[in-house]
Amino acid sequence: MEYFIQLVIEGLATGSIYGALALAIVLVNRATGLINFAQGGMAVVSTFVAYALFNAGAPLALAILGAIVFAFVLGAFLERVIVRPFERGDPDTAVVVTIGMFVLLGGIAAFFFGYEPRQFPSFFGLETLNLGGVFVSLRSLGTIVVLAVVVVLLQLLFRGTKLGLAMRAVADNPESAALSGLPVSRLLMIGWGLASVLGVIAGVLVAPQLFVSPGMLDFVLVYALAAAILGGLDSPLGAVVAAWFIGVIENLAGAYIDVIGNDLKIAVPFIVMIVILIVRPQGLFGRKVVVRV
Amino acid sequence: MTLLELENVTASYGHAQVLHGISFQVGDNDAIGILGANGAGKSTTLRAISGMVQVGGKITFDGTDITGFRPDKVASLGIAHVPEGRGTIGDLTVRDNLRVGAYLRKDKKVADDIELCLDLFPNLRERIGSNASALSGGEQQMLAISRAIMAKPRLILLDEASLGLAPSTAQNVYRAIRRLRTEQGVAMVVVEQNAMLAFSVVDHAIVLETGSTSLAGSRDELMGMDEVRRAYLGG
Amino acid sequence: MNNTLAKLAANTWVRIGFAVVVAVVLVVLPLVSSKYVNYQLSLIAVFGVAILGLNIVMGYAGQVSLGQSAFLGLGAYIAAYGVVEGWPIPLIFVLCAVVPAIVGLLVALAAARLRGLALAMVTIALPIIGIPLAKRLREFTGGSQGTTVSWLRAPEWSGLDHDQWRYYVVVAIAVLMFLLARNIVTGRIGRAFRVVKENESVAIAMGVSPYKYKVLAFTIASLFGGVAGFLYLGIVQYTSPETLSFHTSINMVAAMVIGGSASILGTIIGAIYFVFVPNLANQVNPQLTALVSGAVLLAVLFLVPGGIVSLPRRITQAIRAVRRRAGGSPPETPQSPSDRVPAPATTRPKSTEKKNEGKRQGQ
Repeated sequence: MEYFIQLVIEGLATGSIYGALALAIVLVNRATGLINFAQGGMAVVSTFVAYALFNAGAPLALAILGAIVFAFVLGAFLERVIVRPFERGDPDTAVVVTIGMFVLLGGIAAFFFGYEPRQFPSFFGLETLNLGGVFVSLRSLGTIVVLAVVVVLLQLLFRGTKLGLAMRAVADNPESAALSGLPVSRLLMIGWGLASVLGVIAGVLVAPQLFVSPGMLDFVLVYALAAAILGGLDSPLGAVVAAWFIGVIENLAGAYIDVIGNDLKIAVPFIVMIVILIVRPQGLFGRKVVVRV
Repeated sequence: MTLLELENVTASYGHAQVLHGISFQVGDNDAIGILGANGAGKSTTLRAISGMVQVGGKITFDGTDITGFRPDKVASLGIAHVPEGRGTIGDLTVRDNLRVGAYLRKDKKVADDIELCLDLFPNLRERIGSNASALSGGEQQMLAISRAIMAKPRLILLDEASLGLAPSTAQNVYRAIRRLRTEQGVAMVVVEQNAMLAFSVVDHAIVLETGSTSLAGSRDELMGMDEVRRAYLGG
Repeated sequence: MNNTLAKLAANTWVRIGFAVVVAVVLVVLPLVSSKYVNYQLSLIAVFGVAILGLNIVMGYAGQVSLGQSAFLGLGAYIAAYGVVEGWPIPLIFVLCAVVPAIVGLLVALAAARLRGLALAMVTIALPIIGIPLAKRLREFTGGSQGTTVSWLRAPEWSGLDHDQWRYYVVVAIAVLMFLLARNIVTGRIGRAFRVVKENESVAIAMGVSPYKYKVLAFTIASLFGGVAGFLYLGIVQYTSPETLSFHTSINMVAAMVIGGSASILGTIIGAIYFVFVPNLANQVNPQLTALVSGAVLLAVLFLVPGGIVSLPRRITQAIRAVRRRAGGSPPETPQSPSDRVPAPATTRPKSTEKKNEGKRQGQ
């Protein structure tokens, strides 16, 4: 029983990482209507910034803070300069543009830091707690808590602040928002900046485990995309729930279903996702897409 | 005092020029109508003012040259544009739509003005918590106009407010617009295909034909002209 | 000047002459080139076939596929297994075409009803699931180390070196595949693909079933991928789980876009890019490769969205535009304007976009 709980908590922790990135993907999709494959790349470059700052002697918290600021600026910059021209056009082209950014950002990270995985300290330390027979690492708990806090903060932002209202308006109807005086350009940039910050949070949380390298978030990104789609691309809550779900079943299947084992467990979320999407194409929490001719 | 002036304004969509030199003035408390058939360039004129299309010529608002200003900049100067097709923000509730309308305001009277809109359009009061996309066409039009009112504008641009509405609903909407005019004294530019409705609100109008002004005059003058009566008032 | 070129291009004799010249060059080339060059040229043919399949499903039919490498890998593994087991080569070839096609068919049957992006996700799943599967099924695949199999050798009677023979076999098969592709895309099926890509609702109205054609496109792409895998093993003589890598899929998509999507010639350019540029970049500085790839892809998307293959057309358009401006002639598009024509200068409201999403499901 204890083993099961451990697996679930670990699953929630990895799911939280996927969730942070999935939130970023949903955020960007709602704001600018496209799927950003480069979300992972943005996070990796920003995580490298944290790494560089820390190695230059900055205390960990400060390094992470610096990376967060960098991530925000990077996101805003990329939206304005690279993505903006493609936002109103063919969605397929936009996808390829984000794929291009994904490759470029990975390339930038590789150019400056090479492909050797680098160590990165855990913000929560290395302790393992013993909660009534269940061994849980502080890092895992911390990760779950961070994500929960992020979700709450985002909800507060979007439902309770003027900025959040403005971002929601621009995401839905940028033309009308502009007619009411909303600074659409600035708000789009803020949306991407915020998403980028979510990405670097994911990166910094998973770095102690996966080490910092240009490809570190490749798998996380794919899971995050799966979670975002499973949750129904326009639902932030759906993305997080789906991400936790994916993290947990991945772990449970790997442990309990022998034929799957540790190496094939990565296939499980996909199979589940495919089955769910076939039964319910709009995802778990998405709206049914109305086909209007 | 002239609030808005268009001097020889042209507008293009890409290579296609749609307006070929429109000029008119709107005074501080004026309401002017822009009439004409489908495709005459009426909506484009409003879009030109709001900076939503490529413009040439000169557009002055309250002494400032606003030619080619971005839409949000134009809005910040006190012009509220109710676009063709309503332009409500579907994902947001009625209340949130109104709050968006008041986005640029720094005063504390926003709640009062929400009350004012609900008073003007009682239908909206029942739907205050619904998503805008769930509203009927008429309700959405009322919401769109309310959103414009919330900005406390000096000039409202009204684009085809009766479009797609049942006659009785359109009458309702225009009754509220009339009330707005008399109670608040906001200047207006009203684009309408339905000249009768337009004339219920405006004092004078211009008639557009393929991007140029073909007729202009006061309400009485225009209503007296045979062409206008035949084309727009059904003889 | 342009008119004469255009007239020349349309002339059947010129076309035949051109084809003959190309054929002669292709035949003579390996006899005068080094082993290394022949190897590279053969690789171009291999990836040309793979990217061609990708182009059919993504460029022509408009379905994002990020899993083409999985079919390439599958084809290579089937070929490797078949050779080791001693099966006749023609049989292996057929299996390499048919088995991946069936896999692609099954995947598409399940996934083609999904919204564009969900389909893309399913295609991503293929390499992701494929790699550990390949590592697991050690008896068939040789596990993580992969298998080294050499089956394509020059027969005695040809008097050719191995690399030259390989080149001929691979290029011959590649040419056949290209002709097949050309037939598909210029025929009824290709037209159906285009309509489905453009607007699904219109397709339905025309009696073209988007689902059926998406499945067909995907199956064809998988078939091409499998054949490419067969050729791949012949040239590289080694395959491993890495062959199915997700990054290979992405690089193929990039190459397709850079060469020119929805274009046969663009595919060839894309294959040349795919083989040469990462190689060159690797030689200069391995840490530079990804950076260059990403930068080139973005540059193409910004400057030449139709891919390199559309460069001549863009240049002539630009020249024409400059001439027109200098000559002061009236603008080219005298349309009757409508108030309701949405201005390109403005943005489309999302609310209507969501409702129209069904229309654009060909993502």
